[in-house]
Amino acid sequence: MLVITRKPGESVYIGDDIKISLQGIRGNQVRIGIDAPSDVRIYREEIYLQILEENQSAADVSSTPPSDLGDFAAAWKSSKKGKLQELAKVKDDTSDDEEDS
Amino acid sequence: MSDEKTIKFQSSRFGEQEVSAVSVITLIGGLIGFPDAKQYVLLDYNPPFSWLHSITAADLAFVVVNGAEFGEHYQVPLPKNDTELDLGDNPDYAIVNIVSVRPQPSPTTVNLKAPIIVNLKNMKGRQIVIDSPHCPARFPLWSDESKKESEEKEKK
Repeated sequence: MLVITRKPGESVYIGDDIKISLQGIRGNQVRIGIDAPSDVRIYREEIYLQILEENQSAADVSSTPPSDLGDFAAAWKSSKKGKLQELAKVKDDTSDDEEDS
Repeated sequence: MSDEKTIKFQSSRFGEQEVSAVSVITLIGGLIGFPDAKQYVLLDYNPPFSWLHSITAADLAFVVVNGAEFGEHYQVPLPKNDTELDLGDNPDYAIVNIVSVRPQPSPTTVNLKAPIIVNLKNMKGRQIVIDSPHCPARFPLWSDESKKESEEKEKK
């Protein structure tokens, strides 16, 4: 890993297309500015790892997934437009993301 | 002369499969954690569920569900500036979400945080990440209400 020391206002280029700038320091938080082409994806590490883990665990599915999928599919067919649990009704206690300003 | 070109691929779960070439979805960058597998097809399973099956890795497959099933509150921000996905101003797209099936009694959940957006015009797709607390990576498939309804139906 390359470790570079920068002061607020200073930047680092990664290749020709990505620029990381140290915007400032507030208490124990560092504000990082990222200039990158719009199709370069940027993730906070904990989010990236969460998705990585979820994809990997989802890939570990047998050819006969458990009966609750079958039950749901049956209920969905019989109600014709049965909905999966609608997002608005859920109390979100599964996410621990902070809201960034 | 038939121009319905088909592709055959191996599935460790289902054996040899043959699908039409135009139904192949190319996921740009693959899926997070599976960057090398980029080509997939959707196989019917049990509506609203399908299999998203790799055509290059025989054992790589996911149960998925159409994101439209989650109602109008599931807003997926479209990556309009994504030049590779190339949705354009009048996009024709589908949203597909990966279902995580866990050994009982753990709940089956759906990943609303990282939907796969498929551009139906060019059959390219991308798994994006929605950085919002309203879109969890593990959204329970069943609410208590819908589970009760289903159990009551079975009793009849």
